Amino acid sequence: MSIEPGSDVVDCPRPIDAAVLADYWLGTLAQPEESAIDEHLLGCDQCGTRLREVMALAEGVRSLAREGCLRIVVSDAFLQRARENGLRVREYAPPPGGSVQCTVTADDDLLVGHLAAHLSGVTRVDLCLCDESGVEQHRLRDIPVRGGADSVAYQESITAMKAAPAMTMIARLVTFDEGGSEQLLGEYTFQHTRSLPGPGAW
Amino acid sequence: MDVALSDTEVVRRIGAGHDPEAEGELCRRMAPRVRLYGLRHLRNGDAADDLTQHVLLTALEALRAGRLREPEKLAAFVLGTCRMTVLDLRRGTRRRERLLEQFGADVLSPTHPSMPQLDHTQLEACVQALRERERTVIVMTFYDERTGADLAGFLGMSEANLRVIRHRAIHQLRQCMGATA
Repeated sequence: MSIEPGSDVVDCPRPIDAAVLADYWLGTLAQPEESAIDEHLLGCDQCGTRLREVMALAEGVRSLAREGCLRIVVSDAFLQRARENGLRVREYAPPPGGSVQCTVTADDDLLVGHLAAHLSGVTRVDLCLCDESGVEQHRLRDIPVRGGADSVAYQESITAMKAAPAMTMIARLVTFDEGGSEQLLGEYTFQHTRSLPGPGAW
Repeated sequence: MDVALSDTEVVRRIGAGHDPEAEGELCRRMAPRVRLYGLRHLRNGDAADDLTQHVLLTALEALRAGRLREPEKLAAFVLGTCRMTVLDLRRGTRRRERLLEQFGADVLSPTHPSMPQLDHTQLEACVQALRERERTVIVMTFYDERTGADLAGFLGMSEANLRVIRHRAIHQLRQCMGATA
């Protein structure tokens, strides 16, 4: 009698949800739950495979974050940790209603615009990204904003900006009144100049 | 005829006497699981490999001697061994060297299931397709594995709500990436 390879691959009667496995991987579970999952995984390859998928997802997202290719609102703590991890963060902070000359170099890892605004009491904030004529091209809806914060840190895709020609982008922070009408919180103009070799226009 | 053996049957065969096939199967079967435990608790691939070797040696020694009286409790036994071994790893390597001499290293050659390879471009599109809060939560969580009060505070929500958003985002990402379970 020989042992069939893979004979331990059977349907798990109590599969652990991928999100719970993510909590396990992140170490956020209470001790009894963590121990139960430890033991389950030592007897279940199906859930182990799912955990490896979650780990790969986590590593993939981490890699995307390091590359700075995502358009995303970030916290000051995140930027601080990125600097501590050796990433070079290029930051601009145009005043509300004002503009700033900006660029990116080959050495930059993250590109962040700090958008100052009075955010006390607002319940929803959208970030609108517009072309030089002010025509909206993209909207980040209901961005995370801490109550009482006085600015939003918006990370632009540095991959896109390294490839971009000289251009102007207008960012607008807007909120909504009780009637649902849009209210401008601040407008910021970024005048991007290429410092890398490349095309003069898209 | 090939027969699929349960963990329990593998344990019984090892305990019954010299059975290199069953011992090899135990190692093949348990090594990836123990390594996963090591990755989770030691956060280091090399340390996880060391842990795997230690645990398998200790488990083989115990199973040969018939010290696991309830074979159906193999997972619990291995978990206990993992925990003890993590402590042992910090105490030195003499016991490991003695066990390696006794059992030989050939049966313990590590078998690592490869990590799933993700399509980076697809993942970027999937992350970018998340709603803003979900994207921020997932990126800031996985960037340096911080999940606690600072992130909840930044987002202006409770840690329980943060967990709900993280769970929703993970499910959406997996669905977007084509996971089925």
